[in-house]
Amino acid sequence: MITARGLEKSYGQNKAVDGLSFDIAKGETFGLLGPNGAGKSTTIHLLIGLLRPDRGEVRVMGGDPWIAQTRQQIGVAPQALSLYEELTGQENLTFFAGTYGLSAARIRDRVTWALAFAGLEDRARHRVSTYSGGMKRRLNIAVALVHEPQLLLLDEPTVGVDPQSRNHIFESIEKLQKQGLTILYTTHYMEEARRLCDRIAIVDRGKLLALDTVDGLIRQYGGTSHVVGEVLDCPSNLQLPGKMVEQCLRFASDQPLEEVARLTAGGVRFQTLQINSPDLESVFLKLTGRSLRD
Amino acid sequence: MTLINLALKDLRLLARDRMSAFFVFGFPIMMGLFFGMILGGFSSGTRGKMEIAVIDLDQSPMSKRFVESLQKNDNIKVVTDELEAAKESVRKARRTGLLVIPEKFGESAGIFWEPQPELQLGMDPSRAAESAMMEGFVMQAVAELMGERFRDPSAFLPSISKAKESFLNNESTDAVTKQVGGLFFGSLEAMVNSAGQLQDKTETADGGFAPSLQFANIKPLDISRQLDPDSPEAQVKKIRSRWDISFPQAMLWGILGCIAGFSVSIAKERSQGTLVRLQAAPLSRMQIMLGKALACFLATLLVMVLMVALGLLLKMQPGSYLKLAVVGVCTATCFVGIMMTLSVLGKTEQSVAGVGWAFNMVMAMLGGCMIPVMFMPAIFQKISVISPVRWAILGIEGAIWRDFSWSELFLPMAIMVSVGVVGFAVGTTIMMRRNG
Repeated sequence: MITARGLEKSYGQNKAVDGLSFDIAKGETFGLLGPNGAGKSTTIHLLIGLLRPDRGEVRVMGGDPWIAQTRQQIGVAPQALSLYEELTGQENLTFFAGTYGLSAARIRDRVTWALAFAGLEDRARHRVSTYSGGMKRRLNIAVALVHEPQLLLLDEPTVGVDPQSRNHIFESIEKLQKQGLTILYTTHYMEEARRLCDRIAIVDRGKLLALDTVDGLIRQYGGTSHVVGEVLDCPSNLQLPGKMVEQCLRFASDQPLEEVARLTAGGVRFQTLQINSPDLESVFLKLTGRSLRD
Repeated sequence: MTLINLALKDLRLLARDRMSAFFVFGFPIMMGLFFGMILGGFSSGTRGKMEIAVIDLDQSPMSKRFVESLQKNDNIKVVTDELEAAKESVRKARRTGLLVIPEKFGESAGIFWEPQPELQLGMDPSRAAESAMMEGFVMQAVAELMGERFRDPSAFLPSISKAKESFLNNESTDAVTKQVGGLFFGSLEAMVNSAGQLQDKTETADGGFAPSLQFANIKPLDISRQLDPDSPEAQVKKIRSRWDISFPQAMLWGILGCIAGFSVSIAKERSQGTLVRLQAAPLSRMQIMLGKALACFLATLLVMVLMVALGLLLKMQPGSYLKLAVVGVCTATCFVGIMMTLSVLGKTEQSVAGVGWAFNMVMAMLGGCMIPVMFMPAIFQKISVISPVRWAILGIEGAIWRDFSWSELFLPMAIMVSVGVVGFAVGTTIMMRRNG
């Protein structure tokens, strides 16, 4: 669906995208995970033909996104809310559907669908300026889908959204995944990437640092789990995987659950037990030396 | 279809933005009405009168005739008052001026061999032009008194006899001069007597008014065709209604408001992110720009149609509707092009708005949106050719009241279309390069 090879894009001296290469398969949800300023939005702009790469090549469904026809099958929900505040939700959807050359009857059908998708049927005729942040975000995504694209690009779609709307967005995206839509999802929230993405590309300062499934990334870069337990009883002859100081056992393991099971089978009784498994945050920390939210 | 979709969206946004809609439609109507009322003097019978307080210290029949003469003047509203109250009213700008008629005015006013009484005229210092006009009106009234003297022999003959006697008894006058003076006063007495007899006969025969004694039978001559056709006087002669001159100006204010609003709209699309969506859609950059241009073009035409409609309600009388329509299209083309260039001169709404209004104000001032070009000093009239506003107003006026032929309209129309095409090309090129 998307092929990017050696993409480079600079703004003056600042290299926003530096040699990015990846492929996205049809029906896949592909995550671009990185902190603010990592080059995610620039990458999206290169994929939709908004910017020309300084070097490298992009192909979307085999075509050059710089050509208008190629963009017919792409839907994009930019990070900034890209809506006309003085128009109603329905008018926004109708207008943007019109820019894709849909017939009047098709526009009516798709606008009805999109309003239902965003859960905005009862606010359809209200101006967007009167919507809450979550409603605007949902409409922002609905506008990207109103022309029924094959590829959906979501650039940080949950920024500034309340938990209820965020959950609505997640459920909506999961429905789209089930329908086989190809999705490129950029975020700096690891829990979103973990929940929604089949594969994740970790980017920082325009460079691709790692690309794999969530489990694969954690396995490769996450390191070991850390276990901390308050011990009530411990047989004296049992060999412990770590040090016990004042009835508190601490150890690191690649397979923490199996290790805890071995200890309890050996007669160890825990009062409290805490297992800290590696996550995408740990992966990012390992790869860049800094936190995702830095 | 796509262009219409883009344009309708922009027009809808314009209609929903109250401030922009005011500057496009409300503000020009205000300007049109405001300037129309100011320029009312160009049409007949609608100019405001100067209110003059008259203090008559003489209260003689002649001083009353003098006041009546002033009251007959359509340009003056005469109010009698006390001196101090009159001074106060002028100082507080409630009246334009005051005129004091001195005591013994009636004894010598209008008798050309007597020293003329000293009239005191006090005018509001801020109204210098009207002061000069008022002096002229006073002179006119004094001259009419002179005629009055001849129309009333019973009152005038004693004055002539007294003057004759005084002249002949003057010992310092030589014999020859006395002989000539005696002949003059004798002829004058005979002329005044004849006028009295003629008046008596006419009254007896017809019972009507006596003929006025005139020094010469002068008829008003319309010299407008002999004036320099470019002179303000000659041009003003062609104006049929005050709105003929104020509504072309008002249209341009509306058009300037329109292009100010639309030039900001591209920066606004950029700042609110909708430009990204438009560019991500299967639209070319050219289509996006043409959509903006079409919306601006339609809004500009709408402004002109509304202003013409309002002007017609107020009795504006366009010379040619066809020419007005063609000039309107050229004007819209011109300012759409300017809008396209202005829209890409800044990246933020604030910068575009700043550049746009600075440009618009200079063009409006130079082009005659505030003061008609024909009333500007010569140097400014020459400089004004750089302003598209001037050519637009000239073209619209040409169609409304200047009675331009097609060949006379060609130059302003050609300039406007050229500016429009160049402006569109510059704007589109900059936008494409910026996004490339």
